[in-house]
Amino acid sequence: MSAFIALVLASFRRETQHRLQTAMRIIGGLVEILARISIWQAVYAGRAAVGGISLDSMMTYALVGGTILSSWEATMIVREVGTTIRTGAIGATLLRPASYPLMLLAEQIGARLFEWVIIGLPVIVVMGAIYGLLPPASLPHGLLFIGYLAVSIAILMLTGILIGLFSFWVFDAHSLEWFMRGLLAVLSGSLVPIWFFPAGFGEVVHFLPFSWITYHPMAVYLGQRDLMASLEYLVGGIGWAGLLALTVAFVWSRACRQVVVQGG
Amino acid sequence: MRDTLSLLFYLMRLRVRTRLEFRASLVIAWVAQAFGYAGVFTQLWLILTRFENLGGWTWPQMAMLLGFHTLGYALGACFTLVQLRRMEEIVLGGEFDTLLVRPINPWAYLVFSGFNVEYGGHIVLGAGLILWALPHLGLVWTPGTVFLLAGGLISAALITASTITIISAFALILGRARYLFGLYFDFWELSRYPASIFAPALQLMLLTVVPLGYMAFVPVSVLLGRPVPYLGSFAEAAALAAGPLSVLAAVAFWRFCMNRYQGGGG
Repeated sequence: MSAFIALVLASFRRETQHRLQTAMRIIGGLVEILARISIWQAVYAGRAAVGGISLDSMMTYALVGGTILSSWEATMIVREVGTTIRTGAIGATLLRPASYPLMLLAEQIGARLFEWVIIGLPVIVVMGAIYGLLPPASLPHGLLFIGYLAVSIAILMLTGILIGLFSFWVFDAHSLEWFMRGLLAVLSGSLVPIWFFPAGFGEVVHFLPFSWITYHPMAVYLGQRDLMASLEYLVGGIGWAGLLALTVAFVWSRACRQVVVQGG
Repeated sequence: MRDTLSLLFYLMRLRVRTRLEFRASLVIAWVAQAFGYAGVFTQLWLILTRFENLGGWTWPQMAMLLGFHTLGYALGACFTLVQLRRMEEIVLGGEFDTLLVRPINPWAYLVFSGFNVEYGGHIVLGAGLILWALPHLGLVWTPGTVFLLAGGLISAALITASTITIISAFALILGRARYLFGLYFDFWELSRYPASIFAPALQLMLLTVVPLGYMAFVPVSVLLGRPVPYLGSFAEAAALAAGPLSVLAAVAFWRFCMNRYQGGGG
C-alpha cells in the first residue's frame, strides 16, 4: 500500500515539474470550459429551463463535468501502455515486485489528482466567479458525490487500462486510444447529459459503465435523483468498477503469456 | 528547382510506401480516428436533435461546418503535424543540426519525408459530412460558390500548416514547443463551433491573433449567406486570403527563428 501511495505522489510531483506547461493547461482548461458554457448558453437561447433542467444547472454540469469529471486526458493511459509494449520496457516492468496494472493505476491517480488540484480548481474558481456555480443539491448529495467521484475515476482508469492491455494483441495503441475517445465522448455524457438523449438510446447508455464517469455523478450533484436512488446507483457503479477490475486482472494474466523477452 | 521538387516527391512516395507495408494497421488507424471524431460530432448531433439549433445553426449547417473544419485540417496536418510536433525532440536530440548540413531546406525535408497518410479517416469523414450536408442546404451553385468552397478548403489547410510551423519554430529558439501544441488544440477545438456563439472578445480573437476562425466558420458562413461578425462584406475575401497570409507569417517566423538558432543539443 505504501508503494502504491509513493507511486501516486511521485506521479503528482512529476507533473508539477513542467510549470509553463501547467500554465498552458490552465489556459486550455479555461478555453474548453468557455466553449462548453457558450454552447449551453446558445442552445438555451434565453430560456430559463428546458425539460426541467435549468441553464444554471447546465452551466454547473459543464464546469464540474468538464474539469474534475472529464475523460479526455485519461485516454493517455492507452498510449502509455502502447509505448511500454512498443519500446520493450514491458520486460523490465515485469521484473518489478508490483503488478503492472496497479502501478499504472497509481501513476494515473497521481496525474489525475494534479489535474484536479492544479488545473481543475483554478478553472472552476475563475469560471464559477464569472458564470456562477451551483453547490451540491444538499449536504448528503454532496457527500454521495465524493463517493461517485471515486467510482468515476475507478471506472475511467480501469477502462483505460483494459483497452490499453489490448495493445498486447493488436500492437496499435494509437488506434485503441481513438476508439476510446469516441466511445467516452458520447457514452460518458461528458458534454451532453443522458437526460437530453433520444429515449431508447438514452435508456441503454444509462446502464453502461461509462455513464458513471460524468453523467451519474453530475445527476447526483445537481439533485436530479433522490438520496435512495443515488445510493442505489452508487452501488451499481461500485459493481461495474469491481467487474472491470476483475476483467483487467484476467486480461493481464493472459497478456503476460504474450510477452517474449529476448536478450536484455 | 525541378530537381528539388522531384526529390521532395520521391521522399513522400518513400514514406507512403513504408506505411503501406502495414495496410491493415493503416485501415484500422483510419477507422479509429474517424470513430473518435464521430463520437465528438455525435455529441453535437444530440444537442441539435434536442434543441434544433446552436446559435441559429441547424444540424445540416453544423455538419457542413464540422466537415469543412475536419477536411481542411486534415489536408494541412498530413504535411505538418506529426513531423513538426516532435520538433522539440529533433532540436534537443541534435537531429536538426544534421538536417542543416543536407543540401535541402530542413523544413521541406521534415514535412515531405514525414508525409502522413493516416489522415484518410479524417478526409473520408470530413468529405462525407460535406457531401451529406450540401443537398440539405439549398446552395445556389455558381462558379463563385465552387471557387469559395475549394479556395476556402485550401486556405484552411494552409492555416493549419502555417500555425503548426509557427508553433514548432519556437523549439528553435526556446528549445521547447510541445506544450504549445496542447494550447493550439484547445483553440482548434473552439474553432469547430460557430464563432458567433462566443463572447465578442473571443470572436475577435478567433479572427485576429488566433485566426482559426477562418478555417471553417468564416468560409462556411459566407457559403450559407450567414452574417460574419466584424468582417461583414469583407468575409469572403478574408476567408480566401487568410491562408496565404498565414503562410507569409509562418515563412517570416521560421526564418526569424532559424537566424537565431544556435543548436539545442547533440
